[in-house]
Amino acid sequence: MGPMPYTVIGKPLESQEGRAKVTGAAIFTADVILPEMIWGKILRSPLPHARIVSIDTSEAEQMPGVLAVLTAQDLPDTLTGRIVYDTPVLARDRVRFIGEKVAVVAAEDPDVAEDALSLIEVEYEELPAVFDAEEAMKPDAPLLHPDYRAYLHAPEKFFSDIPNVHSHVTWQVGDIAEGFSQAQEVFEHTFNTHSQHQGFIETHASVVSVDSEGRAHLWITNKMPVRAQKLLADAVEIPQEQVVVHPVCIGGDFGGKGSLMDSPLCYHLSKRTGRPVKMVMTYTEELMAGNPRHPTTISLRTGVSAEGKVVARQARVVFDSGAYAGFKPVPLVNIPGANAAAGVYGTPHVRIDAYSVYTNSVPRGHVRAPGDLQVTFAVESSMELIAEAMGIDPLEFRKRNLLQDGDVLPDGRRLEQVRIRETLEAAVEASSWGQPKAHPHVGRGVAASYRHIGTGEANAQMSLESDGIVKVITPVPDTGTGAHSMLRKVVAETWPLTVEQVRVEARPELFETDSGAGGSRVTYVVGQLVQEMTEELRESVCRVAAAALGCQVDDVVFEAGQYAVKGSSDPALTLAQVAEAGSGKPELCIRKTQVNRETPQVTTFTAQVVELEVDPETGQVKILDVVTSHDVGTIINPVSHQGQIDGGLIQGIGFGMIEEVVMEDGQVSTLHLGDYKLPNIKDIPPLTTVLVQEEIGPAPFQSKAIGESSITPVAAAIANAVYDAVGVRFYDMPITAEKIYWALKERDSHGE
Amino acid sequence: MVSEMTRTIRLRVNGREHSVEVPSRRLLVDCLRYDLGLTGTKEGCSVGVCGACTVLMDGQPISSCLALAVFADGKEIVTVEGIAPEEGLDKVQQSFMDHGGFQCGSCTPGMVVTAKALLDENPNPSEDEIKEWMMGNLCRCTGYYQIIKSIQEAAVEASDA
Repeated sequence: MGPMPYTVIGKPLESQEGRAKVTGAAIFTADVILPEMIWGKILRSPLPHARIVSIDTSEAEQMPGVLAVLTAQDLPDTLTGRIVYDTPVLARDRVRFIGEKVAVVAAEDPDVAEDALSLIEVEYEELPAVFDAEEAMKPDAPLLHPDYRAYLHAPEKFFSDIPNVHSHVTWQVGDIAEGFSQAQEVFEHTFNTHSQHQGFIETHASVVSVDSEGRAHLWITNKMPVRAQKLLADAVEIPQEQVVVHPVCIGGDFGGKGSLMDSPLCYHLSKRTGRPVKMVMTYTEELMAGNPRHPTTISLRTGVSAEGKVVARQARVVFDSGAYAGFKPVPLVNIPGANAAAGVYGTPHVRIDAYSVYTNSVPRGHVRAPGDLQVTFAVESSMELIAEAMGIDPLEFRKRNLLQDGDVLPDGRRLEQVRIRETLEAAVEASSWGQPKAHPHVGRGVAASYRHIGTGEANAQMSLESDGIVKVITPVPDTGTGAHSMLRKVVAETWPLTVEQVRVEARPELFETDSGAGGSRVTYVVGQLVQEMTEELRESVCRVAAAALGCQVDDVVFEAGQYAVKGSSDPALTLAQVAEAGSGKPELCIRKTQVNRETPQVTTFTAQVVELEVDPETGQVKILDVVTSHDVGTIINPVSHQGQIDGGLIQGIGFGMIEEVVMEDGQVSTLHLGDYKLPNIKDIPPLTTVLVQEEIGPAPFQSKAIGESSITPVAAAIANAVYDAVGVRFYDMPITAEKIYWALKERDSHGE
Repeated sequence: MVSEMTRTIRLRVNGREHSVEVPSRRLLVDCLRYDLGLTGTKEGCSVGVCGACTVLMDGQPISSCLALAVFADGKEIVTVEGIAPEEGLDKVQQSFMDHGGFQCGSCTPGMVVTAKALLDENPNPSEDEIKEWMMGNLCRCTGYYQIIKSIQEAAVEASDA
């Protein structure tokens, strides 16, 4: 069956805020300027683990222009976090990482607030610190959170007796012992990955203004604003109804913008001074105390049969969580991406153990495809190592083991409509795989991954407005992904209307609960709800039109955007006229909540081929070509769909080659964007995108998720291509020019 | 410690004359955003790497996070708010909207200003010339492909006009 003849689905649509964004009129949190607004700045811990003996703020308080100085003693004794409440608003009795908040100053001028920080005297008593997750799991390691089990929302089901492990999750398929008993050969490999910052250009910011009735007005860089209302209410001990979140543009999220960050401090400073308070993190603060990707150690044990089939996979995945687990947004308080440790390969016996571990480092959070990049690097490197050891071509070895319909993933899903074979073959076909190489140090690498389509709670309000516009009110902000355009198109296509007749507004303050944006969920959960509501509102509008036209509902026809009586030449009614006729009718303004708990059994696959050239003198890698292949459903908006693929891919290349939040004894040493390198426009390689398309997605019009697909396999493909080019296998990410240089030097000195 | 010396500077921003009293250490980005209320110009990295704060000073793109406001005394500044003609949008702005040249929009003001300066100087740039000119502007959302396309299409449209 060919594609359905859609009118707006599949065509590009610019975002409603587009004009505001290209003219500078769009308001982001840092752009909010309120009358009498003042600024807050944070004093942070210089030590990775210490007891706070005393804090003297008296000198800072007397500095001209300073309006308030707060320490933990001035605040309620609360903890906060996205799920587990383990993070102090300001450190109370001890600090657990370099960069932890110790005191905050408010002043009329941000420079004055900054200067006042240097006048605060803090006496610390240093404690033994641990910087490595494996070390932190040893019996004699210092315990960072002795009271962990008492924290609110700590995941009892996943408690562990191993020191500093705050969540131990196991995923299993089959019987792992049985699996290894069937194996002809067993392989063990261990890989390490590093910390990557989300790299959004807009740093975290918050503005809070406490009004005369005690309500806290909140502007925040947060893609889950409804949840932020609840979290702030808990953090500062006021009822949730007293928090009013105001919509603002979000300047990039990539998983990182779901916490309160500095907003509780803004609240307390505003309460204390009676003035609106703004706090904007500098990029240095982002890099030392944001919530970057978890450094991860992945140990794989793989059993392979004589026929070259993977029969058993045991994985031990250790996530370095940093000093607090409060940035993790899932109830497991772990990184579910670990459950992809069998990769895109149908493996009958799997056991995956994921440990999330406290250390005296920057607290880690979610970054686009959290966990997936880490385990995919390990899995796709190990596939090559095993293939080589068994004398099988790596591509052939993969093809022998690919997932098929009916296979069960480690998370328990029985997959349907599996398209990995087509996706992989299309990637290889579109690349130079197997062709002669132009130069001696050219290499090619392949890697593949899958990604779930997210679940969660969606809410919306939909109404026919007096001007004939269908208005969708959603609590979900558009973080730049085009979510609001997607909703406009779903409504327009379903009704059918033109996109100009549909308006989407983010009004998080009108909702009490909602999952917000993230986890590749919005097109599926919000799109599906809005599609259902469109049908319901359309029915109501038709009934109102029938009454106004004086006919039966069955006799109403909707043509060219107007309602008329079938076969009659009487004047038709526009949507605005129907709205007038139905003015005040509750059925013309509907509101719904829908919870999707079951992850769809259809998933999305990505396969990528990288061709690159290594300069053996310097270790410098030049990527010559990338093919990214995706199995997709109906594409709702081709420009933003491709934008997600492009952006994710370059973020994945950054992860694989240049980006690293470097830590030395708990101190981040890459403290600005000159040291922490994001890919720039000259770093991007020639890119071929292949879409293996079929209308089989669970989201509206058989669409699927795309946002967290292209980022995942590329680093692994780079690793495999570097091996192909110069014969050096890397077990640690990122693969920088420097690492290649030293690896080649070492190899040559051994006379190989 | 702060020594709050102030100076009065005169500058033209987007064609309008302003006289502002600023502390001598005030950065141009803060002067534009907070003294003049022109928040279209964004501050990203604060160290001249990301380009979000790019404005034109006497026609040349500069990082306003690295320039003191007093350096702008007597100068002509164009920010993203001053790119569009009185009616409608500049072709670069329209092209960024048509071709996916932005997603979240936080790098966009700097991108638009820098791209405008490029097309003013070189109305028909090659892909390599676009990359060379734009390499001081970071974007995390788009992977740059659609930014290049936006600039190329804006150039095509200009040459067709």
